[in-house]
Amino acid sequence: MVDPFPLIFDGFITTVEVSIFGVFAGLALGTVLALGDLYGGRFFSILIRGYVEFFRGSPIIIQLFIFLYVIPTVLNFRIDALAVGFMVFALNSAAYQKGYVKGAVEAIFQDQMMAGLSIGMSRLQTLLHVILPQALRIVIPAWSNEFCSITKSTPALLILGIRDLTAAAMTIVGQTWRVVETYSAIALIYLAWITIVTKIADIVYEKKKIPGIEISA
Amino acid sequence: MANTVMRCEHLWKTYEKHLIAVKDVSMRIEEGDIKLIFGPSGSGKSTFLRCLAMLTIPDKGDIYLREECLTTSGVNLNRARARIGFVFQHIWLFRHLTAQGNVELALRRVLKLHKEEARERALQALREVRMEEWAHHYPAQLSGGQQQRIGIARALARNPDIILLDEPTSALDPELTGEVIDTLRDLAKKGTTMLIVSHEMPFAREIADEMLFYDAGKIVETGPPEQFFTNPQSERAQKFMTRLIKRTRKE
Repeated sequence: MVDPFPLIFDGFITTVEVSIFGVFAGLALGTVLALGDLYGGRFFSILIRGYVEFFRGSPIIIQLFIFLYVIPTVLNFRIDALAVGFMVFALNSAAYQKGYVKGAVEAIFQDQMMAGLSIGMSRLQTLLHVILPQALRIVIPAWSNEFCSITKSTPALLILGIRDLTAAAMTIVGQTWRVVETYSAIALIYLAWITIVTKIADIVYEKKKIPGIEISA
Repeated sequence: MANTVMRCEHLWKTYEKHLIAVKDVSMRIEEGDIKLIFGPSGSGKSTFLRCLAMLTIPDKGDIYLREECLTTSGVNLNRARARIGFVFQHIWLFRHLTAQGNVELALRRVLKLHKEEARERALQALREVRMEEWAHHYPAQLSGGQQQRIGIARALARNPDIILLDEPTSALDPELTGEVIDTLRDLAKKGTTMLIVSHEMPFAREIADEMLFYDAGKIVETGPPEQFFTNPQSERAQKFMTRLIKRTRKE
């Protein structure tokens, strides 16, 4: 008889690790992509749009499959499955977060850029000290949604042979046939975890909120 | 002979669809001068002012700040802009920074002053526009007039060679206009070199050394305020002044 708790714990840790890494690395990369799309010129813009279309337009399971099997086979190298998991979730999230950051930057861009230039700052300085601090504040609520969405997508890791929280539940159900208890417990864990993180995001949003820089959604 | 702070020669700026905003304009501003540009909306005044600050790059012609030509290639435009104060019609404060933060930013990031010194100078600039007690407020917590005074403090704090003001009161109601005008009057008394786009005629008459009537991308007429109030030379300026004076009386 399998002991369900270590399985659930390991699965939960995998879900947490992959989703947190995905959402933070995705924000960093998404910001770079947003700025590249806005200021990188036509070539980069087309490249970045292609990237976004690929990651938004295909199921994450297929993306994991491509990165674990297809690309290494074609290019003849080996890669660790967990590393692929982390990477693909970050790349996937970046494609979405690029859109949020770009929208926020565009919303505050023109007048603030000119004001920044008018006091003698360079474009880069204005971006770093004026535009991004405002854009990232506006992005927090969307970022929180993205986190929920990623957390619930980690079952896809199963295609790599990695067990997240849901996969752990499936294993337990397969061995114990306690369907209702197991899935109810898992649902509660998801609910508690997502509630905690979104609450933290709300608190950060409130704490960092500045009068005049709010989203009206 | 007075020192020329800024001059431009044969300046041109055309937007798409052949809209000429600046059409072969030349002018100069000496140290301590206060010049006031006025003219119909859409005539290109804002574009002209932005060209002078190199916030909009002119198509042709030269701009000199002191001896330095800003329109030759290889000029460090950021450094040049740091020596020009610019006040926007729609104010455009940095919304995520307090009043003090708005003024301090350039002192820290552009002039690279030490934190303490930057703070001192920012507070000094806020004192000059009588906004010191609002130092820790964010733009959204201030009235339009207060915001514009912060905008002026932000332009002042670097001790620029010249301050360019693009209709600093036109987005404000008459009451708030008064407080901004008072601030500008203070600056005028201190001998600040200014080029102001404005339609505040009583104010113009009081402080301007020279007025420039700008229409359809050109400076049509130049002269002391009295000339415009009593005997404008060009027909366009005559018509415009008549309308403007009527409107001012109504207010």
